[in-house]
Amino acid sequence: MQNWFSENINLGILISTLLLVLIGLGSIYSATYDAGASDFFNRQLIWAGIGLVAMLIVMFIPFRTLQLISYPLYIFSILLLIGVLIFGKTVAGSKSWFGFGSFGLQPSEFVKVTCVLALATYLSDKKINLSRFKNLLVAVSIVLIPIALIIRQPDVGTAIIYVLMLIPVLYWAGASLTLMLIIISPAAAAVAALFGITPFLIVLGTLLITFFVLKENKLISAIIFSITVLVGVSVQFIYGKLAPYQQKRIDTFLNPEADPLGSGYNVIQSKVAIGSGGVFGKGFLEGSQTQLNFIPAQWTDFIYCVPAEEFGFVGSILILILFAYILFRSINVASTAKSRFASLVTMGVVSIFSAHILINIGMVMGIMPVIGVPLPLLSYGGSFLLSSMLMVGLLLNMYINRKEY
Amino acid sequence: MTDNFTYHSRKNVFYVILGIVFIVFFVRLIQLQFLYSEKYGKMSAENAIRNVAVAPLRGYMYDRNGILVVDNRPAYNVTVTPVEFENKNLELLTEILKMEKEEVLERIEKGKKYNRFSPVKIKRDVDFQTLSFVEEYSGQLKGIEYQFEPKRYYPTKAHGSHLVGYIKEITESQLQKLGDFYRQGDIIGASGLEAGYEKYLRGKKGFELITVDAEGKIIGNFNDGKSDIQPVEGDDLELTLDIKVQALAESLLSDKRGAVVAIDPTDGGIIALVSKPDFNPELLSGVTPFSVWQQLNTDPAKPLFNRATLTKYPPGSTFKMLLALAALQEGIIDENWRVNCRGSFTFGNKVFKDMHVHGSTNVVEAIQRSCNVFFYQLMLKTGLPTWTKYGKQFGFGAPTGIDILEENSGLLPSEEYYNRRYGKGRWTQGYLVSLGIGQGELGVSPLQLAAYAMALANEGKYYKPHVVDKIKEKESKKIIKVEPVMRQINLKNEVWNAVREGLYRAVNVAGGTGAAARVPGINVAGKTGTAQNPHGKDHAWFIGFAPYENPKIAICVLVENVGYGGVFAAPIAGLCIEQFLYGEIIRNKLNQPKIILTKTEAEQIRD
Ligand SMILES: [Zn+2]
Repeated sequence: MQNWFSENINLGILISTLLLVLIGLGSIYSATYDAGASDFFNRQLIWAGIGLVAMLIVMFIPFRTLQLISYPLYIFSILLLIGVLIFGKTVAGSKSWFGFGSFGLQPSEFVKVTCVLALATYLSDKKINLSRFKNLLVAVSIVLIPIALIIRQPDVGTAIIYVLMLIPVLYWAGASLTLMLIIISPAAAAVAALFGITPFLIVLGTLLITFFVLKENKLISAIIFSITVLVGVSVQFIYGKLAPYQQKRIDTFLNPEADPLGSGYNVIQSKVAIGSGGVFGKGFLEGSQTQLNFIPAQWTDFIYCVPAEEFGFVGSILILILFAYILFRSINVASTAKSRFASLVTMGVVSIFSAHILINIGMVMGIMPVIGVPLPLLSYGGSFLLSSMLMVGLLLNMYINRKEY
Repeated sequence: MTDNFTYHSRKNVFYVILGIVFIVFFVRLIQLQFLYSEKYGKMSAENAIRNVAVAPLRGYMYDRNGILVVDNRPAYNVTVTPVEFENKNLELLTEILKMEKEEVLERIEKGKKYNRFSPVKIKRDVDFQTLSFVEEYSGQLKGIEYQFEPKRYYPTKAHGSHLVGYIKEITESQLQKLGDFYRQGDIIGASGLEAGYEKYLRGKKGFELITVDAEGKIIGNFNDGKSDIQPVEGDDLELTLDIKVQALAESLLSDKRGAVVAIDPTDGGIIALVSKPDFNPELLSGVTPFSVWQQLNTDPAKPLFNRATLTKYPPGSTFKMLLALAALQEGIIDENWRVNCRGSFTFGNKVFKDMHVHGSTNVVEAIQRSCNVFFYQLMLKTGLPTWTKYGKQFGFGAPTGIDILEENSGLLPSEEYYNRRYGKGRWTQGYLVSLGIGQGELGVSPLQLAAYAMALANEGKYYKPHVVDKIKEKESKKIIKVEPVMRQINLKNEVWNAVREGLYRAVNVAGGTGAAARVPGINVAGKTGTAQNPHGKDHAWFIGFAPYENPKIAICVLVENVGYGGVFAAPIAGLCIEQFLYGEIIRNKLNQPKIILTKTEAEQIRD
């Protein structure tokens, strides 16, 4: 028994996950504390319970069964996503919720899980070769369909997460560097062009150096390079044609500090919260930034400042270490797994988690633009906590089955 | 095997990228929590940065001739930042502001709920003396400041109270319902155009990040003001209103209860909309003293009630044209059909009265002289369903859809209504007789009657009444034209002609009841009416339009509890028409005989 347990259960990931959920609950308790536990805390506690059960169930679903149900699940979840566009209710300007009484469900969170499974199932098929255009198209479509639907809600943050999941998984599945360059460089050029001419030139320079280092085929290099230049130039051209208020919206997106009402104010206050926490923090429920509600709805996207203020550097770094442990350990599992499916599912989950952590913590620290993306396992939000724990369930399942073919 | 081989090399790419991300986070934490922790700690302790909303100017309103009707003026509010407020200052503060302690504390408490560090408005629009006291005691009164906020100002002689509406401080329940844009202490349109066009008029708030020192004193704007957002002025409204007609109508009704509604029959634009008694909107442009509210709410004359759109009175003889149109259009009678009026009409065992003995009367003469007996008989001949059908076509029994929000549907009875009210088969034709002359179970508003006058003027083009002609958007600089919405009432030309001729004769030919509405040099057409009032003197009605040949204004006048429409309502209509078409009152400047009726003429008017 002892043997079976240590052989099959990835205790490190399990414990790290539970610790992060507990830290999240504590942070929500503190952020919404008002002479006692708030509704927010009580709800999140219920969701954490549901999440734990769901995680354990997913962990023990037979490996083959997962593969078999991945396509039906994917289609079902896409239908839900269409349904929410038609019947959903609008929360904070975004139509992404199904309401059941006081509990709401956000299908786009669960599509993350089904999308990873479907993509992994497709790419693990021995007959699939990403250098064939048809196969590549199908793989990309599996992710683009939910993106197209989510952008209509509109929820740009979640859409970006899907992109940041697709690229690493394609790479892991064996896409060539050339292919990766074709996908990444125009996107990078488009974003850089919005920041200005210098960042755009830096992207082009980096691209040229990459071609040189990889000794890439000259014709292919030339094509990729021209497409990149074209995308960058047309983005700047379109920007010039936009109405001033539309330009302002993009500027605010790129430089939130210029927008104190919305995100800029939040970022300034969140930096003050983190910085004032110092090395050891102000103590639980003692963080003045947190307790005085400086940051509106801090319990969702700005949850990281709560432990950062109240537990200082010690608390902040603990969270980073727990996340880093889960991610690095999982990459290791993915690279040693015998089954291609297990490996790809693991990398899908790793990519989604990494994207969330990068954007969210980067934003809270004031080094990334403000994009509304929550922090896995910590942020308030039932659907998101549940889907995050489902994904950890997948990681643990793949670990159990890492020696299967 | 090959898979694992590639995984191993690719694994390193992931390790490196993720490694860089976590190292950057680590370095940033060191920077924030070790190197800058003192700076941020100080900012946090002093709460050095405040987010202060800057009120935008509410949109202006102009009348159809470009005259500024609703303006803004600077005003100052006294604010308290809850976290800095010291209870020992409560006494002094209430003394300076002349407010109750409870009220001050309640306002601070409410503000705390949103953000203890944001100044909360304690008193609006304080006078100069209060302001100088606040300034004088500023060293002592920690956290108490004053703040600029524009206030509504009405530069013309007209009040326009029920049309323009008023603004007030947002209520708790509105705050919960309307969410993001508003904060406690904000101003919101409460009635009339201010409420109907709130979305446009309110503009966009600005925000300033203010840096303060440990004492709570303002040092300046954070980041030299580069992080501030400038407020965006509210959109302006260009109205169809003629403020001079509005002012005149208000003055003509000044010591009366009643209403005037004038409409442009070419597009449905409201030229004037008056309800009297009214109130001075300036008194309600912000925090209204409780005493003022109490007085407005308990006044038996109900100054807040919009008589122009909410009143439900029987329309009296002004409704006779509706019956005439219905009967002529349906072919129930023709223009030559005559009734011999002997001064009363007996139906069953009930006698229905007339004001005169009119003798042999056709439809045009019946409108001209307002013969009741003619219309009693015509009503029985036409029947309720046809009458109701035409009433609906002319917009009775339903809201007109005017853009100032509050209006009444009124009551247009139908067979169904009577069945519901009295039970099927338990009401008789006798119930209908008085409907023919616009009395009985029937309720209309002056606005509905004015729209009906408009449709009579332009031969059935029923435009949706509206007050806003154009919206000038400030942010996009676009001008949005409010396109008139029209519904055609299709009747035969000869039907329109007959009824319109009756209306012309009622004003301009001897024996007509509307002579008092005449205007020098212009042909006015119209019809008087008197609504029977069981509780006192009758209500006087007049509806009309001018010029007869090419109508540019349609009007309805109601004066409550005075008597005949031809005596009390028609002269007001005439003056308003004159003001609108000439741009001034010219009758006293002319050398032609004045249009003042002789005593006998006036006594002849009994409708
Ligand atoms: Zn008669």
